[in-house]
Amino acid sequence: MTDVGLTRIRLMQGVLLLVFLVFTFRVASMQWLNPRVPPEYGEGLAPRLVEIEPPRGLIVDRYGQVLARNTPEFRVMLIPGELPGDPDDRRSALVTLERLTGIPYADLEAAASSSLAIVDPYAPVLVLDGLSSDQAIQMRATVAGKGGIRIDASPTRAYTAEETLAHILGYVGSIPEDEAAALMGQGYPLDGAIGLNGVESMYEPTLRGDPGRLLVLSDPQGRAVEELAGTDPVPGADVVLSIDLRLQQLTSAALAKGMEAGMAVLRTNTGQERSDPIPGGAALVMDVRTGELLASVSLPSYDPNLFVDGTPEAIADVLTDPARPLIDRTYMEVRSPGSIFKPLVALAALEEGVATEDTYIVSNGAITIRDEYDPNVVYVFRDWTSHGGMDLRRALARSSDVYFYLLVGGYHQPGQDEFEGMGADVLARWARAAGFGRATGIDLPGEASGLVPTTKWKEEEFGVEWLLGDSYPYSIGQGYLTVTPMQMAVLAAAIANGGTLLQPRVVHGYAADGVVTPLATQTTGRLPGSAEHYRIVREGMRDAASGPDGTAETGKPEGVTIGGKTGTTEFGVAYPDGEYDTHGWYMGFAPYDDPEVAVIVYLEYGVGQTYAGPVAKEILEGYFALKESGEEQRVEARP
Amino acid sequence: MIARLALRALPDPWLLVGVAGLLVAGSAMIRAATMGAHGGLSAETMRHLVYAFVGILAMFAVSHLHLGLLRRFAPLIYIASLVGLVAVLGIGSDQFGARRWIVVAPGVTVQPSEFAKIGAALAFAAYAADREPGLRTTLTSLVLSLVPAALILVEPDLGTTLVVLVAWGGFMVAWGVPWRVLGGIGALAVSVLPIAFAVAVPDYQRERLQVFLNPEHDPLGSGFTMRQVEIALGGGGLTGRGLDGASSALDGVATRASDFAFAQLGEQMGLVGALLVLLLYAVIAWRGLEASLHSPDRFGRLLAAGLTATIVLQALMHIAVNTHLFPATGIPLPYISTGGSALVGMCISAGLIQAVASQRPSSGRDARGERW
Repeated sequence: MTDVGLTRIRLMQGVLLLVFLVFTFRVASMQWLNPRVPPEYGEGLAPRLVEIEPPRGLIVDRYGQVLARNTPEFRVMLIPGELPGDPDDRRSALVTLERLTGIPYADLEAAASSSLAIVDPYAPVLVLDGLSSDQAIQMRATVAGKGGIRIDASPTRAYTAEETLAHILGYVGSIPEDEAAALMGQGYPLDGAIGLNGVESMYEPTLRGDPGRLLVLSDPQGRAVEELAGTDPVPGADVVLSIDLRLQQLTSAALAKGMEAGMAVLRTNTGQERSDPIPGGAALVMDVRTGELLASVSLPSYDPNLFVDGTPEAIADVLTDPARPLIDRTYMEVRSPGSIFKPLVALAALEEGVATEDTYIVSNGAITIRDEYDPNVVYVFRDWTSHGGMDLRRALARSSDVYFYLLVGGYHQPGQDEFEGMGADVLARWARAAGFGRATGIDLPGEASGLVPTTKWKEEEFGVEWLLGDSYPYSIGQGYLTVTPMQMAVLAAAIANGGTLLQPRVVHGYAADGVVTPLATQTTGRLPGSAEHYRIVREGMRDAASGPDGTAETGKPEGVTIGGKTGTTEFGVAYPDGEYDTHGWYMGFAPYDDPEVAVIVYLEYGVGQTYAGPVAKEILEGYFALKESGEEQRVEARP
Repeated sequence: MIARLALRALPDPWLLVGVAGLLVAGSAMIRAATMGAHGGLSAETMRHLVYAFVGILAMFAVSHLHLGLLRRFAPLIYIASLVGLVAVLGIGSDQFGARRWIVVAPGVTVQPSEFAKIGAALAFAAYAADREPGLRTTLTSLVLSLVPAALILVEPDLGTTLVVLVAWGGFMVAWGVPWRVLGGIGALAVSVLPIAFAVAVPDYQRERLQVFLNPEHDPLGSGFTMRQVEIALGGGGLTGRGLDGASSALDGVATRASDFAFAQLGEQMGLVGALLVLLLYAVIAWRGLEASLHSPDRFGRLLAAGLTATIVLQALMHIAVNTHLFPATGIPLPYISTGGSALVGMCISAGLIQAVASQRPSSGRDARGERW
């Protein structure tokens, strides 16, 4: 115990006493002797910060066609905080409003007790929208002087009536109640609008711009009496899609036709009770140099304006439609790819040294495997036809199943020629390297990632060992493997460009003041492989799409050499004779020598060669025709 | 009856009166500020009351701790508080661009920096208890405070950083560090301040200093807040605008019940309420330092002085911001502002001062013998 310590603490007491005295005088001066209170304070006027929403950016197609624009709309807003607190007074106030506006009492009551009102009782809640300008003026006069209700103009969105753009564009709607608190923190007004799906939601910050702020003196009812200061809003930039509207329309028409034709795979009069078939399909055209989607169609679709001005019944119809039009089948749904997976298996086999371009295998239409434990049991794995002997290019061109069974599963049967396959786990590694089993990173919400099975996965999932009978279907893109058409487009582009895995995009860039700023091309990795091996795979696909008996010849446009591959996968419930309904796939790239685009066609019901191929052919012919006619057309903002 | 029991359980009833009075004033302020249009107790008020209850329990529990035990565990507590500060930078949740909170359960967050203040005070006291205040020991103790201060600054939380550093200053005075050493460190701090300001202070803070120096600088942002704070105090007048949730000049200010709690309270309860709050802090300052003066050992003396300095200087800094004597910095008002960790932490600090007071050799009927 030193004395200096005690003195110091006494000193602290003294100093603090003095500081408290100073503070006392300061507070007394601010509150009593010299208060600086503006005259409006006593009248209930208070400054209030008001956010000013800037005009939302437009969405235009690759060539400046406007796809989403702003239209003024008038709406009725209720301000719950301005209604009387007493339940009886409140009821009579709402009854008066019902009489004046013709809005049902129940709607007014629902708005007044909305959960938004708890977050901020003075935030206006939407009661009725879609008023015409005449109606708005009339109603404004009727409710003049009444608290609790307001008529205001809000910019709303109108979308081009192109159904196949609904998934891509998304829509703009009211702030969702469950996110209201978080969005308020980001400066959204509670009665504001926000992009809720598609590009509208993914590019929300760009489209929205920066809101301005206005400091106003407002009365207790929230009405601005005087503007004190403010900053101007910065309008949102326009978003330029990579989609070419004309190609999109053409692709959509071709796909619809293919879907209808593909329904022919359905068999009638089988005497079986089967659920109603629901047609569906997807088609993609991707630039193999940038990953930009020039067309992206999922059918069935819905009217892009549905959520803007659709009736509740129309919205309910779409939401409950068994054909699920809200699902974008290009990237939200997974399916077995079937034989369009074979080019990847071929590349893996070449890289792993399992096969060379000259590996020669004979397919007599099937291979047989004797059961390990019971030699009397024989399993048969069929090819779709008897191809005879063939090398790797021809196996791709003919889409031989036996050839690919052997590349993955191998063949070890007494008295037969041995073949060493790469094994399921090596194939799984290649599938993952090609981007399967994970999202491609497309700039749209809700992407599915699909499944790349491994031996370990099967043991964990089902508790049973991986069998040769699993490896064989795997090699031809069936079994547990599932993919999205978008992932197949990325693979097709990678085969065409020599291994670059592009991140697909529906947005080309931003436009402001007539200047387009393109987004940089993003890649998600590289699918390894020598240039030589890529060339062999591409040649196999070229032979498929052009050779004398290539299976993918139906997808080849007039006068252009392409690489192509078909796929047909069984699904659903077997018919009495053991046959199934089939999905039809087509994968291609064009032109063969200097690839520009990859194309993917998927038909819920169909056969690759017969039905998906012609769709691809029509799309590619459309692409080259448009290119011919509009060579000088550059990407531009709207005029 | 309960009050009498409470007073008997704690050695310094005046200190308890100070804390309890502030807790009541704070709860009333928060209730009125968050009432909304339809009355009733808001979620913020309920949360505040729950934390106040937890804080009071913690205060009573801590006041029975043995000082020797505290001294032995001081290094451990200090290190644990640093671990908390590092953890928050890693796993903390982002709010308003800062990482200050760790989510321990849905809706329950802990702000480690509030407990780091206690850890630092314990570490100072334990370190200085058997050392003389020379240049070397002073600098070592400075490091003890700079480590948590730096960790809090990167969250960023400039207000709490300043509180930790200012509390260290108060502690140095109590330790008896020679004036010339203190003067030297002070001069050094003033000379590196501009550099620190340029390097470590976030943009929004720089903007607030601008506003302090020139209130018209940004009428839409912090200028708006500072203007409303002034109107709130002035509008409160002598007796205030009442606690019935009437409209307030601070309606548009998000941190009205935390960083601007004093102005909010002054508007509601007037000069009378504001001066009562000042008086209650003065009581805490006086009784805290009395506990320090009468402590039989140096650990207790320095602990009481350090914790009292932390509480009182934080309160004064908050009030200085609210009365335009200091640039706008987010510093909560002890025992009054919203914020559970701060409330519980401050109650624990008061409990520790009570623990020091209980050591007093000659303190009438509250003598140690009665309780030990």
